[in-house]
Amino acid sequence: MKDFIMPLFKLLKYLLPFLLLSACATVPTPPLDFRPGAVVETLLSAVSLSIHSTERNMSASGYLVYRRPDQLHLVVLTPFGTTVLEAFAMGDRITLLYPSKSIAYVGRFDELPDKGGLQGWSLMRWVMDADPHEGNLQNGTVKRTGKLGFSEKVVYGNGLISSKESPAGDRVFYGNYIAVNGVPVATEMDLRNQRDDRIRITLSEPEVNTPLDAAVFVPRLDGMTIMPLSAIEGL
Amino acid sequence: MTVKQVRVFALVLWTSLLTSAPGHARTISPLEGLEALRRGFAGLSDFTADITQEKRLSLMKRTMVMNGSLRFKKPDLFFMEIAPPFSSRMLLKDSVIEQVSGKDKTPNRIVLPPEQGLKQWFVKLSAPITSLPDGVDVQADLTNAVYSVTISPQGKGQVKDISILFLADGTIKKLIINERNGDRATMTLKKVRRNVGLSERDFRLE
Repeated sequence: MKDFIMPLFKLLKYLLPFLLLSACATVPTPPLDFRPGAVVETLLSAVSLSIHSTERNMSASGYLVYRRPDQLHLVVLTPFGTTVLEAFAMGDRITLLYPSKSIAYVGRFDELPDKGGLQGWSLMRWVMDADPHEGNLQNGTVKRTGKLGFSEKVVYGNGLISSKESPAGDRVFYGNYIAVNGVPVATEMDLRNQRDDRIRITLSEPEVNTPLDAAVFVPRLDGMTIMPLSAIEGL
Repeated sequence: MTVKQVRVFALVLWTSLLTSAPGHARTISPLEGLEALRRGFAGLSDFTADITQEKRLSLMKRTMVMNGSLRFKKPDLFFMEIAPPFSSRMLLKDSVIEQVSGKDKTPNRIVLPPEQGLKQWFVKLSAPITSLPDGVDVQADLTNAVYSVTISPQGKGQVKDISILFLADGTIKKLIINERNGDRATMTLKKVRRNVGLSERDFRLE
């Protein structure tokens, strides 16, 4: 159980930033037919997930829904299509729901186990700080002080963010941008942290800025045993 | 993967493999339905099929669709491949699952409890089914030449029921898994070919 859960922690730590960056990386770029100023407010997409860590590897398909700036619902599936895990995030709260065990772990991001030395919420906020270059830079590298108060290195290509690097050495790469209703979205995201763990996420047929029911982001806890996030490490 | 998840996985695999079997009954009681599956499976050595897998999420007005193929060879080899954009390959050798996704080269390896291995399930199939299994409710019917057997685990676990639809000649039509949260996973099999002479070389991840 622990071996299975820990890669999911890593996934959760990085998935939110990826989504947020999808929202933030909406810099106008010549190759794409986009609406200037269009940004990702909501995103629905099937996903393929791949995690390579020093502890183990994991891959799965799933589905995610995101609403700017910080709401997420991720579904991870078994090979037969049943649900392994549902993750819900809203603000600084996160719920990990395991249908097969009828258990939901509920708490704040900073209560998640932090074996990678990264704090998920801080990383998420770091990635959110990905606005277009003030000078409309198309290609180049910018070292700047981000909104979180530390320096970061941002690389732009054709007006889109192609990578970022944190002071701690975490790096995220973005590829295969597509324009969805005029909004650029990176459909391939590859993150490598300072421990050389690697998480790759591929979006498939993303839908952007479609109306979402608020219930999508609310975990259904009827019949679930509610546990604190701190309890998950002992399982 | 939790023990319950593994049990569901094994049950799904077991029932989907069973559905390669022909059934004969016109009016099907639950016991007759299960026995028809078991009986027909005795004449099966392997099969291949193309698949379409659909996941309907109850909270979202969208269905996730994946296409691929699967292979099975008695007594303990099962392989499933999902085509892009959700590229993945899964190989089950008795109680060991290996899975790779996309461009990955290093497989994710999951070892099931020995009692959940494929061989164990086939041992259970060696004798005729004379009573319904404990812990499940079973319903069966035959409509327009399509057999339907629905197995509902008792209790309040994740899986509400599993339905298998198949023809009298053993051709599998669908496998449907309804979860208690309202989600539904449907696997539709096409181009099912039985006893094609698969070898162990057909069950490799590389």
